Amino acid sequence: MKWFSDFGSQRRERELQEEINAHLQMAIVDRVERGETAESARQAAEREFGNIPLVQDVTREMWGRGWLEQPGRDIRYALRQLRKSPGFTITATAMLTVAICANSTVFSWIDGTMLRPIPGARDTGSLVSLQRGERSFSPTPPFSYLDYRDLREQNHTFAGMLAYKSNWITVTGGAQSERIYVGNVSANFFNVLGVKPLLGRFFLPEEETRPDAVPYVVLGYSLWKTRYAGDPEIVGKAIEIARHPVTVIGVAPEGFTGAAPGLRDDAWLTLNPLGTNEYRLTHRSGGAVWLIVLGSLRPGVSRDQAAQDVDTQMHHIVAAYPDDHLGDNRITLDPMWRSPFGANGYMAATLPVLLDFAAVVLLLTCANVATLTLVRFVSRRRELAIRQSLGANRMQLVRQMVLEGVVLSIVAGAVALVLTSWTSKTFAWFFPANSIPLILNGSMDVKVVIGIAVFSLLAGLLCGAVPAWRSSHAPAIEVLKAESASVSGGTHNRKLLSGLVVAQIALSLPLLLCSGLFLQTLRNLAHANPGFEQNHILTATVGLNIAGYSDDEQRVIRHKILDRVSALPGVKVASLTDWIPMTLSHKGEDAYPDGYVPHPHESLQVYHAEVGPRYFESLHIPILEGREFTPDDDEKAPRVLIVDQTAARRYWPGQDPMGKKLRVWGIPFTVVGVAKNSTHMFMNESPVPMVYMSFFQLGDETTVQVKTEGNPANLAPAVEDAIHEIDTQLPVFDVRPMRESTQMASIFAVMQSALAGMFACIGLVLAITGIYGVVAYRTHMRAQEIGIRMALGASRRDVFRLVLLQGSWLTGIGLALGLAFALGLTRFIARMLFGIGANDPVTVASVVILLGGMSLIACYFPARRAMQRNPVTAIREL
Amino acid sequence: MGDRDQYKNRVELLQGTLDMLILQTLQWGPQHGYGIVQALRLQSGDMLQVETGSLYPALHRLERQGWVQSDWKQSESKQRARYYRITAKGKKQLASDLGRWERIVEAIGSVMYVEPKESES
Repeated sequence: MKWFSDFGSQRRERELQEEINAHLQMAIVDRVERGETAESARQAAEREFGNIPLVQDVTREMWGRGWLEQPGRDIRYALRQLRKSPGFTITATAMLTVAICANSTVFSWIDGTMLRPIPGARDTGSLVSLQRGERSFSPTPPFSYLDYRDLREQNHTFAGMLAYKSNWITVTGGAQSERIYVGNVSANFFNVLGVKPLLGRFFLPEEETRPDAVPYVVLGYSLWKTRYAGDPEIVGKAIEIARHPVTVIGVAPEGFTGAAPGLRDDAWLTLNPLGTNEYRLTHRSGGAVWLIVLGSLRPGVSRDQAAQDVDTQMHHIVAAYPDDHLGDNRITLDPMWRSPFGANGYMAATLPVLLDFAAVVLLLTCANVATLTLVRFVSRRRELAIRQSLGANRMQLVRQMVLEGVVLSIVAGAVALVLTSWTSKTFAWFFPANSIPLILNGSMDVKVVIGIAVFSLLAGLLCGAVPAWRSSHAPAIEVLKAESASVSGGTHNRKLLSGLVVAQIALSLPLLLCSGLFLQTLRNLAHANPGFEQNHILTATVGLNIAGYSDDEQRVIRHKILDRVSALPGVKVASLTDWIPMTLSHKGEDAYPDGYVPHPHESLQVYHAEVGPRYFESLHIPILEGREFTPDDDEKAPRVLIVDQTAARRYWPGQDPMGKKLRVWGIPFTVVGVAKNSTHMFMNESPVPMVYMSFFQLGDETTVQVKTEGNPANLAPAVEDAIHEIDTQLPVFDVRPMRESTQMASIFAVMQSALAGMFACIGLVLAITGIYGVVAYRTHMRAQEIGIRMALGASRRDVFRLVLLQGSWLTGIGLALGLAFALGLTRFIARMLFGIGANDPVTVASVVILLGGMSLIACYFPARRAMQRNPVTAIREL
Repeated sequence: MGDRDQYKNRVELLQGTLDMLILQTLQWGPQHGYGIVQALRLQSGDMLQVETGSLYPALHRLERQGWVQSDWKQSESKQRARYYRITAKGKKQLASDLGRWERIVEAIGSVMYVEPKESES
């Protein structure tokens, strides 16, 4: 670079010398022709030419430094201008930083979750997840192994199709047993995702369903690092999972955590490692529906084509095995960013809305900074006019002013970048302690950096270009003429200023309204009655199943646990369950009520939970009819069922449900009780039929549910100790008050209201400072006019009213526009609200009054100042 | 340094007008720096003596703005010299400079030769 410019300037230097020499030579020749002697002609010519080095010097200055010079000079000029008004520079940069950071933070969360659904996978863009039946927010795994295999083999549109199902399990055989989340996966699992083993190998096709005496396991990177100290010789070694020896055949690469977005698998097994899944691999219904299926589209195949293809294949399967496929069997495909399996279904419903809010904040900030910029340009209009009359064309002026905006936003973007590297990690704060292996957090990768650059550039252009174009429009002559003619910077600028203020109020109103609605939703959620007691309940999970205890061992241990925990002082009731409501988890199964004819495409899915005696009593869920489960409802007794009101009304409308039969997994259950409806997942869920089964008949994992006298947290150590007294090896997890567990159901409301509230506060401050700034500025500019009015007899009250009226007009227009805007927008968040309508009149009115009132207060100060001014000084000052 | 400032000031003061004069001169054909000085002096009846300290910076600036282009050619007297030639862009600029100049002359004229009005109404 340096070399080139030196080369160029050397040539130019030489040419200039030659040009001057030629000039002198020609002057000498002319003089000699006129009869002078050579010597005197030379002297005269040189005298006439003047100081040669000086001429060279000033000429050289015209060359500049080529293409680098012009922008360089513009940037220097912009920096100088910004330095001259540090107040503006700091305010504008700070506001832009906050706005950009708000956007980049939410974007980093989207990036870390939705845009990186499966870290370590080759191409998540071509992956889709398959859903069967009614579309749901949080479906249960929808496929049986045989259905999956048929789809995998018969489809024409997928390059590969994998199946998995993850569960907790315990790694034993060390000093400390450890709970890990392990995936049972199809043999092609890693292949379809495009993951290569770090060590060893992954599964072979023939191993997919084959039970092995010593099953094979693939370790996740972090488990390998933490539990096995990154042993490079681990492949081929035996470890113990759930008290069974298994052989490590491979280690997955760093960062790969399985196929469920937002959830972390620690290790992987095949579909039938111990031979205990035989039933699930040879049946198509009745407990054999357990797999989540993802497919990788063939290149050039659209999602719609693939959906049609698998839907057709599914039709064939349903036609061949109609009894296994009652209910709705339509197949829908989702891209991974909104796949309902894993966390992204929830993320996709929450984060984009928050990004929209952040975008409004950015727009609002741009309008605010543009106002400040415009005011500054108006006060600089003489400088601009002079430069224009000196030959700067409008494009140059606009470029220079835009550059000032861009410099501001680049600085703001740089600060936001630093801030975001921290704020992106705050996403995890929203999640309370829970029993889900969540690995959700924001990420700070190149996409976020590009995002910040785009946000900043956009902001810079919006802040700089609009006012710049407007200002440069003013004809130079007009501005240079007497000041008085354009005291307030011309009608155009005044209109633009008013427009910007109106825009700020109009933009902040929807922010305030939405945050008001979210905050009330949060309050309603906190005070809502979920239909069960959650204040004096402690739960503790004992991993009997996942630690590999046999059924007989489990039965004995469970009874021992019940006895010991019941005997603890402070415990009112101890019960057993395998499900805790409102923890983002549920178990679903197709149920076939006897004598019930489903509508075409009606989903037959019910939620189910296995609960022990006194479960309903301890949770204060009324049994409306029949009885609770008793200890006698065990394996030897006939299968019994308690249904909730939704199930009773749906399947036996107008009839007595008692004694009715319902088939699940092909087993007939008899209804012995009807329980009152209670909340399963979210307060604002649409009710799904719920059936409770007896824990002693079908209980899955053991969770002890204790009703306490005092604070349940205080009892946690005692309960844990009591369980360990039975067997110190018993793995006990997730010991926490019910109140804490059920917080999971409102994390999205918390997220929404926290961010919307924050954004609304920023919006309010911006709108208020915006209207204050503009009214104060215009009042200042009109000081002379006001002085004259007062000198001519206007009272102070008239002046006060004049200024206030002006502010009220702007506020009024802004509020009207904002209201229209807000009411149009709130229906998009209606789905996220609880206990409040999207256009709740009280909230709307309060928000309008708040914003209007604050704006009027903002106008009051300049109005009072104008009123108190001495008219004589006001006139004299200008 | 004093000398230098003096030159610089003159460049800026004359800038608009000098540009116009140079461009006008080049209308009649490509010319070198010395030729432009002579042409201006002859045309103005010896009234305008352009300083080289103004001329050469102006020429180089005009070239950078794309209003003139330069080539090295032999003069009639076999002297190798840098000839400046007006571009299409330069011609447009000249027209607008001329228009502005005429308005200024007119404006100044109407100020200087204003006739006292009959009444104050």
